[in-house]
Amino acid sequence: MILQALHQYFQRKQSSEENALPRGYQKKSLSFVIVLDEQGQFCGFRDCRELLGKKKAGRVFLVPREVKRSSGIKANLLWDNLEYVLGYDMKQSGKSADKHAEFIATIRRFFERPGIDMGIDAVLAFLERGDFAMLFADALWPEIVKDNGFISFHLAQDRGLTLVSDRDRVRARIEEKAQVDPGEGEKVRCLVTGNMDYPVNLHTAIKGVYGAQSSGGNIVSFNCAAFESYEKTQGGNAPVGKEAEYGYTTALNNLLGRDSTQRVQVGDASTVFWAAQSHVMEGYFAQFFNDSGGDESEQDNELIKALYTAPHTGKEPVMEEDMTPFYILGLSPNAARIAIRFWYEGTVGETVRHIKQHFADCRVAHGPREPGYLSIFRLLVSTASLGKSENINPNLAGAMARAIFLGLPYPRSLLSAVLSRVKAEQANDKWPNVSYARVSLIKAVLVREKRFYGKNIKEVDMSLDKTNDNPGYLLGRLFAVLEKIQEDANPGLNATIRDRFYGAASATPAAVFPRLLKLKNHHLAKMEQASWVTAHEKRVGEIMEKLEKFPNHLGLDDQGRFAVGYYHQRNDFYKSKEARERENEQENN
Amino acid sequence: MNNGTTRSGPFRLRVWGDNACFTRPEMKAERVSYDVMTPSAARGVMEAILWKPGMQWRITRLDVLNPIRWASVRRNEVSAKASTHTVNFFIEEKRQQRAGLILRDVAYIIHSCIELTSEAGMTDSIVKFQEMFLRRAENGQCFTMPYLGCREFTASFELVKMKDPLPLALAETRDLGWMLHDMDFSCSPPRPRFFRAVMEEGVIQVPELESQEVRR
Repeated sequence: MILQALHQYFQRKQSSEENALPRGYQKKSLSFVIVLDEQGQFCGFRDCRELLGKKKAGRVFLVPREVKRSSGIKANLLWDNLEYVLGYDMKQSGKSADKHAEFIATIRRFFERPGIDMGIDAVLAFLERGDFAMLFADALWPEIVKDNGFISFHLAQDRGLTLVSDRDRVRARIEEKAQVDPGEGEKVRCLVTGNMDYPVNLHTAIKGVYGAQSSGGNIVSFNCAAFESYEKTQGGNAPVGKEAEYGYTTALNNLLGRDSTQRVQVGDASTVFWAAQSHVMEGYFAQFFNDSGGDESEQDNELIKALYTAPHTGKEPVMEEDMTPFYILGLSPNAARIAIRFWYEGTVGETVRHIKQHFADCRVAHGPREPGYLSIFRLLVSTASLGKSENINPNLAGAMARAIFLGLPYPRSLLSAVLSRVKAEQANDKWPNVSYARVSLIKAVLVREKRFYGKNIKEVDMSLDKTNDNPGYLLGRLFAVLEKIQEDANPGLNATIRDRFYGAASATPAAVFPRLLKLKNHHLAKMEQASWVTAHEKRVGEIMEKLEKFPNHLGLDDQGRFAVGYYHQRNDFYKSKEARERENEQENN
Repeated sequence: MNNGTTRSGPFRLRVWGDNACFTRPEMKAERVSYDVMTPSAARGVMEAILWKPGMQWRITRLDVLNPIRWASVRRNEVSAKASTHTVNFFIEEKRQQRAGLILRDVAYIIHSCIELTSEAGMTDSIVKFQEMFLRRAENGQCFTMPYLGCREFTASFELVKMKDPLPLALAETRDLGWMLHDMDFSCSPPRPRFFRAVMEEGVIQVPELESQEVRR
């Protein structure tokens, strides 16, 4: 289904877009171009790099489709690396002369006689002259060597930056050749389209999967003896026709392209998504999962708010009933192959409903400066050590993405990953161990499990819930109150009981809390304002009267509730005066 | 000996397991399973219970009972295999870890029939094989442990007798694309055959081998 869905997407794009990919071409980013005149004389280099963020990256051009080469000598048509195009020996391999000859021979094979196009003649004249001293002396040459990318040709008189391979006559010829390519061997049944077609031995590489080799990887590959069956080799093991192979690889490479808006990164899985027909969801989807870039981005939150309010205001068409098929594919790299992490095939309506559910589950009361909705990236990175995205457990990311799309409960490993981070980290105000993202995740895991398995216990809520009498939650609240007492008694303290006792209090309360309660008395005695003392005492009493005893151990779920209770209580302390007044008014009314 | 019928009545076998992986041929390196059981895997399960040279199994229908759920796992697999050409190799050097997208909690009902082959002897008859199968399935006997796609995913089976009600299939209708029907062992080397699998209310009708729908 996967290859088939990609092939259908390719066909949809070909038939609809004006700038659909012409047959026989692909997109490639080139940093430099050789400029020639009509006689094939070298005019100079042209630097085509663009500023992408902080780095300079080459511009994306349309070039003839690349040939697959691993160790042999095979040249691309009219573009290639420095060794093939100029015979410049980068690594002293000694094969540069052969490669260069092959490059020229490839052009000749395609354009058998001179005079088809002026550009081709110029290129051939330049290459056969063989005198590249002027190139090596050029000012840009050292940079080109350092960049070590691909290079192509441009005629000085052509407008803009049209490559020789993009000239009208050349393009016509290449497209023509791509159509009638007879193919080798006999036709077999293609398992993607069901039609008879020439089988493809080696599939085009899929580039753009984060973490894969730069030369790309293959989904369909049989590069070890263990994968070959019934004496078939390579692509014969899974007959895919030329049409289908071209279709799905082009579609996938486009979706994974650098400037594609239809991809997100979920942990180590590069995820692409598309709908069966052109749909706005294709544009929205990325915004739900990508990091808004540090600070709160107004548009992203607006979008998510719109999701919630649209049914009420009726502004946008209700997407939840939309039955357009929607596909999500997660790919992760493994050396020269690409593994499929997950595959989701559903409708737009289902996806929207599940996303909404996910955001509703994650909602937790938070400080005023924090964003209302957290992206998946931010949630996952809170489970990684040192907050680095490469430390995210790969299985966790894939499982979480699948849980969100399918509306399943989150993986249990998520809860233990978050709690182990909370216990392991040394807290400070800039980087709290019980952070907003982590508490969101814990709350989401607990709430979803309750809904999925139909448990009828009271689960944690968005903000402080004074009626919740779960021991884990109450102990978390108590811990927060005790910490506040300590902070109020000793202003400017560097390390509070949170740093020393959090882990033990969370896991084995009976061992820790009696001591903390004794300490609290000393803190209260030291406190200067009497009104604060009574207020704190009241709070402690309120919590303690619901607690029967201090349990010896808290299970994983209860430790989660401990963290949530702690967070809710602390947030409650720092609520602004206006918010508190507003709440009191609401309660009174 | 019953010359009139060359095909037995349909048997219904309920098969279930914790995991299954009916590997797609195009994604054999990093395994991705088909959404449902393939007819060739169903044939494998039936053959594990009963097989004689004089008979062959024909799968006619597959019912999907459980919702289709996936799991992504990483498993230790090997990259080389022994054959008549290899002299020796040390398997510990050929281990690799590969990802796989497998199915979880599967349950199917396989509807199948027995047919006699050209190697059926004088004493072989449809009724004989029929009775043998019914007895073995009832007792839970099998030559080898039946499995769901990969040998490590063992299958449990239970006969659904004709008079018992058929368990309800999944209420889903989906087009599953081109699916592997089986391998055609009459050619050498064997060639795969494909058919367009459509699941209607959880039921997949498997076309006849020689019919138009099975493309070779």
